[in-house]
Amino acid sequence: MSLVGPSGSGKSSLLRAVIGLQQPLCGAVETGLPRSQVGILFQDDALLPWKTARDNVALGLILNGTDGRTARAEAEAWLARLDLAGFGDRFPRHLSGGQRKRVALAQVLALKPKLILMDEPFASLDAIVRARVVKDLVALVERERISVLLVTHDLEEALSLSDEIYLLSQGPRAHITQHYVVPIPRPRDPVRSRMHPAFAPLYEKIWADLSRAVDPRAEAA
Amino acid sequence: MLGAARYSWVRQVVALLVLLALWETAGRAGMLNPLYLPSPSQIGAAIFDLFSDGRIWPHLEATFTAALGGLALGIAVGVVLGVAAALVRLVAELLEPVMTLLNAVPRVILAPLFVIWLGIGLASKIALSFILVAVLIFFTVFTGIRQVDRRMVERVITLGGDRWALVRHVYLPSVTAWILSNLKIAVGFAFTGALVGEFVAATHGLGYLLSFAQSTYNAALMFALIVLILVVVLLIFGIAGRLEKYLLRWQ
Repeated sequence: MSLVGPSGSGKSSLLRAVIGLQQPLCGAVETGLPRSQVGILFQDDALLPWKTARDNVALGLILNGTDGRTARAEAEAWLARLDLAGFGDRFPRHLSGGQRKRVALAQVLALKPKLILMDEPFASLDAIVRARVVKDLVALVERERISVLLVTHDLEEALSLSDEIYLLSQGPRAHITQHYVVPIPRPRDPVRSRMHPAFAPLYEKIWADLSRAVDPRAEAA
Repeated sequence: MLGAARYSWVRQVVALLVLLALWETAGRAGMLNPLYLPSPSQIGAAIFDLFSDGRIWPHLEATFTAALGGLALGIAVGVVLGVAAALVRLVAELLEPVMTLLNAVPRVILAPLFVIWLGIGLASKIALSFILVAVLIFFTVFTGIRQVDRRMVERVITLGGDRWALVRHVYLPSVTAWILSNLKIAVGFAFTGALVGEFVAATHGLGYLLSFAQSTYNAALMFALIVLILVVVLLIFGIAGRLEKYLLRWQ
C-alpha cells in the first residue's frame, strides 16, 4: 500500500504518528498490531556509526529481549539474506550507501514485523543500486507476507510496488482524496511490472489527479 | 617530492640537534650566563642527578597521583553532571550558570581556598586538578548530547529502545567520542591543576621542586624539571592518542 501526495501534505507526519514518534493533534492511530511488530525505514539510514553492521542489526533484537549471542547470530543470518555475508564486522563508514540501506533493512526485518512503514526509503540511492535493493525487498516482503506502507512522491515506485495507492491532497488540512487499486499480479518483479498493460493508464490517471491536487487551476485546462 | 613529506621528522630532529649544539657551544664559549640559561649538558646533568640519587621519585609520584586522580574524578563527575543536565531540564537550569561562571574565570584562583579547606597535602592538588577538568568535560558532554543526531535517537526508539537504551547505545558512545577528542586538553588541564597546586603550598611534587628551584636561583634544576614535565605529558599524550585511535576506530 502506498501513500502518494504533494510535498507538505503530511505524508511523513502520518508515518511518524503511526510509529508513535509524533502525537496526532486529535484522533488516534490504530494498527491492530503491538508496537514491536511495526518497523520503520527512513530516507536517511541512521545506523549507529560506532556499531558494526552486525551489532546494528542485533541492536533491535537485543532491545526486544533477545540475548546478545543469539541476536548476533540472527543478525549475521539476516545480513547474509541481504547479500551482506562477510560484512558483519564493518562499521557503517566503511559501507556503501546501498550496503547501509541493506543493513538498515536487515535491522527492521530481523524484528519480524508484520507492518513496515517506509518514508521514501530509496530516494538517496542511485538507480541501479536502488533497483537491486527494491527487488530483494519485494521478494522478502512477498515471502514473509509483510504489509508495507510506503510514502513516496515517486509515482512509478508506488505503482510498481503496491497493491493499493492512496492520494493525499495538498496541505494544510490535507486529506485522502483518491484510492486506486493496482491490478498487477503478485509475485512481482518491480522492474517488469512497469511493462504491465495496466501500468501506463493508471499512471496517467494518478498523475492527472496529483497535478490537480497540487494546482487546482489545472482542472480547468 | 613524495618521499620528502614522509621524512619530515628526520629534518625536525636534525634541526633540534643543531639548535642544541649551537646552544651548547654558546654556553661553553661563555656567551651565556649559566645563572640564567644553563647549557644543555648542565641541564642533562641536573636531570641525571635527580634520578641517580632517586630523590625525584616521590615528587613524580605526588604530581602523577594528583593529576591522574583529578583527571579521573573530573571526567567522572563531568560526565555525570553533563548527562544529567542534558537530559533533565531542572539540572541544566541550576548547573549551567555555575558552570558558565567557573568556565569564565581562571579556575586556579581557587587554589589558595583549597589549601585552607583541604590542607597542603595531596587532596588540595587533586581538588584543583579536578575542578579544571570537570568544567571542561561538563561542557563537552552537555553540548555534545544536545547535538546528537536526532535520526539516531529516533532509530533506537523505533527499534523499541527506552530512555536507558538511548543513554547506553546513543548518548554514552557519542559522549565517549567527544571526551576522547578533548582528552589531550583534559590531560593538560589536570597537570596544570596539580602543578599550580604544588606551587601554592606543598611538601612534594614537581611543582614544589620548581618553586624550590626558583627560591634557590637554580636555573639548571628548573630546566631539568621543565624537560621532565614535558616528557611526562608527551608520554601521556601518546597513550591518550593510542586510546583515541582504538576507541574511535569507527570514525
